[in-house]
Amino acid sequence: MKALIPVMLGLFAVAAQAATPNEILAGYRAEAAKHNPRYQPSAELGAQFYTRLFSASAKMPSCSSCHGDDPSRSGSHVVTGKAIGPLAPGANAERFTDPAKVEKWFRRNCGEVLGRACSAAEKADLIAFLMRGR
Amino acid sequence: MNRILVWDWPVRIGHWLLVGAFALAWLTGDSETWRRIHVWAGGTLVGVVLFRLLWGLVGTRHARFARFVRGPAAVKAYLLGLFTHPRAEQPGHNPAGGWAIVALLSLGLLTGVSGWLTDQEIGGEWLEEAHEALASTMLTVVFLHVIGVLIGSLAHGENLVRAMFTGRKRGDADAAIVNARPFAVPLLLACAAVCAWWLAR
Repeated sequence: MKALIPVMLGLFAVAAQAATPNEILAGYRAEAAKHNPRYQPSAELGAQFYTRLFSASAKMPSCSSCHGDDPSRSGSHVVTGKAIGPLAPGANAERFTDPAKVEKWFRRNCGEVLGRACSAAEKADLIAFLMRGR
Repeated sequence: MNRILVWDWPVRIGHWLLVGAFALAWLTGDSETWRRIHVWAGGTLVGVVLFRLLWGLVGTRHARFARFVRGPAAVKAYLLGLFTHPRAEQPGHNPAGGWAIVALLSLGLLTGVSGWLTDQEIGGEWLEEAHEALASTMLTVVFLHVIGVLIGSLAHGENLVRAMFTGRKRGDADAAIVNARPFAVPLLLACAAVCAWWLAR
């Protein structure tokens, strides 16, 4: 019976999937460091990335097209018109707390806005920017 | 043995509308650019499913649930029989296929409703997750259905995909339907269009 306890704790950990923005940032940082051992997340690069205009989508050229110039405020989707809660964890406690959800939306949005997957470094820089605020 | 008419027009048109609507909805599911098309495709699918549920009560005989929804014993006997007497007639749905229809209609309705609630921003994230899980389950059943159709076609020596276009399968004359009910097709199309419009508003 005692042998089962660590297994059950492990299962609970998997089921909950809760994380902090710092942990999620650390995960992407570690992934980016595999390619570049000297990599450090940069809020500055993240800020540039957030407003950079890509050419994959005419309607949604940048992150800020839908999330708004200020990620600590609500945005409005340019295609669907739906309100989007603030992306900055400081303004919206739900953000960057579920690794699976974070990956799902990076996959979708990078594919549509950049026309390619985002690198781990781009993700880490962006989260560093969103945690710092503008 | 002759080919007889078994699938009426609403069954055939409805079937291919479901194929098209599901494929379109699946392909546009991850995209915000195509979000409105996705919702229209889902709305169309729900409209066709609702019509099909009604048609399962009042349609021609092989379209009726009472005719093709059979118990587990019949399904088992049918599947085992595929090895021993594969040429046995199945003028309508076979007992295994009948359950694929029930599963696909149920999943189509649940996926559509959960998607509509998500699009209306009612229900929150768990419903969005449920919508995605239901859609994935539906795709799995679609694959099982297609595999079943291929196995059935080989076992019975009859092209079941073509039958869903022509409406005709091998069988005794007294198993045929008399009228293909083309007049119900506009009702089906109207039901699909109204549902798509209403759900995508």
